[in-house]
Amino acid sequence: MRYTKLRKENFHEFLRVLERYGKVYAPHRISEKFYDFREMRDPNDVVTEYPRTVMPPKKFFFEPLSELFKVGLRDFSYSTPEEDIQPFVIFGVHAYDIKGLMILDSVYMEPGLEEKQYAVRRQKALIVGISDMPDQYNFSNVRNADWVDEGFDLFLHPIEEGWLIRVGSPTGHKIIDDNSQLFHGTTLKDIDDFKEHEKRRQLSFPMCMSLSDVRYVLEVNWNNPIWEEEAKRCLGCGNCTMTCPTCRCYEVWDEPDVELSSASRFRRWDSCQFHDHGLVAGGENFREHKVDRFRHRYNCKNSYVKALHCDFCVGCGRCTAFCPAGISYMGIITHLMEAKVHED
Amino acid sequence: MKTDNYTDLYKLNKAHVVRVFDLTDKEKLFVFRFDDKDLASTWTYKPGQFVQIAVPGVGESTISITSSATRKGFFELCIRKVGRVTSVIHKLRPGDVVGIRGPYGNGFPMEAMEGKDLLLIASGLGMAPLRGVFLYALDNRWLYGRIALINTARYSSELLFREELDAMLDMTTAENLLIMQTVTREPEYPGLKGRATEYIDQTGVDPKNCAVIVCGPPRMYMDVFRKVLQLGFSPDHLYMTLERRMKCGVGKCGHCVAGTATNMVYMCKDGPVFTYYDIMSTPGLI
Repeated sequence: MRYTKLRKENFHEFLRVLERYGKVYAPHRISEKFYDFREMRDPNDVVTEYPRTVMPPKKFFFEPLSELFKVGLRDFSYSTPEEDIQPFVIFGVHAYDIKGLMILDSVYMEPGLEEKQYAVRRQKALIVGISDMPDQYNFSNVRNADWVDEGFDLFLHPIEEGWLIRVGSPTGHKIIDDNSQLFHGTTLKDIDDFKEHEKRRQLSFPMCMSLSDVRYVLEVNWNNPIWEEEAKRCLGCGNCTMTCPTCRCYEVWDEPDVELSSASRFRRWDSCQFHDHGLVAGGENFREHKVDRFRHRYNCKNSYVKALHCDFCVGCGRCTAFCPAGISYMGIITHLMEAKVHED
Repeated sequence: MKTDNYTDLYKLNKAHVVRVFDLTDKEKLFVFRFDDKDLASTWTYKPGQFVQIAVPGVGESTISITSSATRKGFFELCIRKVGRVTSVIHKLRPGDVVGIRGPYGNGFPMEAMEGKDLLLIASGLGMAPLRGVFLYALDNRWLYGRIALINTARYSSELLFREELDAMLDMTTAENLLIMQTVTREPEYPGLKGRATEYIDQTGVDPKNCAVIVCGPPRMYMDVFRKVLQLGFSPDHLYMTLERRMKCGVGKCGHCVAGTATNMVYMCKDGPVFTYYDIMSTPGLI
């Protein structure tokens, strides 16, 4: 991998340079406690240290609400919305969110079943990663999502003089080569800084355990009373799934226009925590009770992404950080890992 | 990278109603044909697969195909009037237009069953996908041994394709077929009464060399499997088809996901056909 250095004094200029490659979205502080990806207007507003954004970058590729197609009700003409997706840049993406995008790719760009809307946006996007310092909810290390070797164009790591950059794609190389005045070769000191930072970062993760057997732990604890107990506290609001970087359920509905000349099919994000997620015509509900839906999320998040040999959960901690009921995802998993199935 | 190469996953193909048959109070049989002549003559599918049928402006429904692709130029859907979309579909008349996507799902592995006897057990609406299997096997008669079909429902008025199956009784001896139709809740019914499991040992299929396909309400599956295993059938060739809420049919929307952490499946993509071993290793599937 190619390494290069961006000095502190060149950082804002670097953000300006990124604008040449498309509209830049970067982490901004949006309230006292929360951060989110917003369009960059002033590089001074861009935040480089943040625990997590409210919304993962999935919103740029799999939009919360979109029109899939339109059908003429008289002539049955079929058309998809004309989209002119311009190249864009997402700056400041943490490793776990990059992993999250790769997991979404495995679903939405599954060979032979690529979804055009998603694929077009994915190909227009330039991803600039940034190293994160974990807070108490971040367990991406035990999910092997604390570090990525691919899925980005550039990746920034803080060092004393500014940033050490890893280059991850041909576009990344072009940015470095076309703007060589901004970048410098790395010194041995830079590399030591980088290693030192990573060491400190690794020690900051609150959890160190193996989740290799978590799938089995969930299965053998299918009837553990904790599911009922925690599901009682759950409000069923769906925050955990909306903010999850790999949750991707959607709902569709048809809407005719007022003149009844055409009808559009829309889609919006859906959540497995909602009562109607498994409800079919005739009244049968395949996950009727809240506990069924609650437990399903834990099983689904911990199931295999077959294409990547990893779990769907990347350990970003959003479902815990943004749960209005204060339910701890890892709290439940660690409880199950230690729980006895048989009470003596 | 070129993005134009991607086909539109959700594209609707225009099809029109050719004929409508009333089957029961709740179910109708619709014969459809694609408007595009090439598509109409080349579109093919496997028994057990399903389509998404759309009435634009109303919505889309997931319906299993009840015809066999061995008969070209049209396809048939048996649709129960149960919700918003299917209520509108029930009002359609010949010439009316719908949108079709598919076929989706894995379908039954008909090749793996070649050389074997077939035991088909249908309950209620389960006859719809099994009719596709039955017609396919009849059209490829030389590939299979004895074919036994048990069609069951609560009341005789709910027996799907009852008349069609009755009309086939003439040829059963010549074709080495057996057709049984039984009802469970109508004591005055003159024909067979009781559950399908009570008749399995009278079907004349060879348990040592027979594939069993079951389709009906999920709660009947284990009963049937227990019975056939007790009668000495091999667990290697027990199949069934399941249903869930489906919105996309292509493994994206997430509604049909079921199972546990070690085995999370999309009914639409990994199913809807599953084996006995799938059920045993995936709690929550049925």
